[in-house]
Amino acid sequence: MTRDEIFAKVIEIVKPFVKNQDALTAVNDDTNILEDLKVNSARLVDIILNFEDEFDIEVEDDDADAVNTVGDAVALIEEKLS
Amino acid sequence: MTQLPFRNRAAHAFQREVGRLAALFWVLPIAFIMRVLMGYHIKDAALVRTRYRALLKESDHPLLICPNHLTMMDSAVIAWALGGSWWYLFHYSRIPWNLPEYNNFASQWPTRVGAWLTKCIPVIRGGRREDVSRVIKRVQHLLSRGETAMIFPEAGRSRSGRVEADAAAHAVGRILTSVPGCQPLCVYLRGDRQQTWSTVPARGDSFYVDFEVVEPQSDHSGMRRSRDFSQQIVDRLVGMEEEYFARR
Repeated sequence: MTRDEIFAKVIEIVKPFVKNQDALTAVNDDTNILEDLKVNSARLVDIILNFEDEFDIEVEDDDADAVNTVGDAVALIEEKLS
Repeated sequence: MTQLPFRNRAAHAFQREVGRLAALFWVLPIAFIMRVLMGYHIKDAALVRTRYRALLKESDHPLLICPNHLTMMDSAVIAWALGGSWWYLFHYSRIPWNLPEYNNFASQWPTRVGAWLTKCIPVIRGGRREDVSRVIKRVQHLLSRGETAMIFPEAGRSRSGRVEADAAAHAVGRILTSVPGCQPLCVYLRGDRQQTWSTVPARGDSFYVDFEVVEPQSDHSGMRRSRDFSQQIVDRLVGMEEEYFARR
């Protein structure tokens, strides 16, 4: 799976939790999931569990701490898939 | 579980020992405020405390107190109900560490000092994951040393006035899955006059207190396991609430 494909799937998974839909139009690696997309912090766990299902990976709590931006999420998934 | 840096461990030890030295000047006054000035009363207090002390004698596992949450004084009332002020003077480590919302208790220096002295570790709920994680690691460290901590599994005060089953905070499960042997103690507290959430309980209120050690189970690992644990804790609180209303 290419990085672009992972990125697209990450956005697809995050989308239902995004409160600031306008921010999705300019989303990039540096977009902060909580601050820019206004995702509720409690929902971040659901998002990461959806990553686990979609990409068939397992994420530990400590790994998830590093996920602040969309780019962080993509990097984590890439690392788990490799 | 990663070990806390020496600096943080030393800071905790310092906070604990200063609080211990000053205990006479804050444990008893807080109990005085609750009992005399606010007129609070714990129903069957002697029985509650006997049960709690028996529980502590039976097990030397780290204890994570997980109560329902309706007022900003819940942690103080629960600690008072379970231990009793004089008992804590001689069992200081049993005063639970608390995780109050930073913006409620620690945003100004007088309340920040008070929170520090009274074994609080302020947290910004819904804050940056790294910051929340740092607080969780501090609690993990304290529990692994055999201390007691208290965390509200619904994260904030229930706006409906009832335990909210869909509000399980992931941090609870995360702590439980990472501290070997850690036992969650579900506590249900409610004043007779507590209809819904509030800042403080009504003056002269009388509190029902029940508690139960829960053993959460999960076939999963990683974050899914933590989530299962958190949900089971909140579900048990829902059950304890149903039992409370059925008895009324």
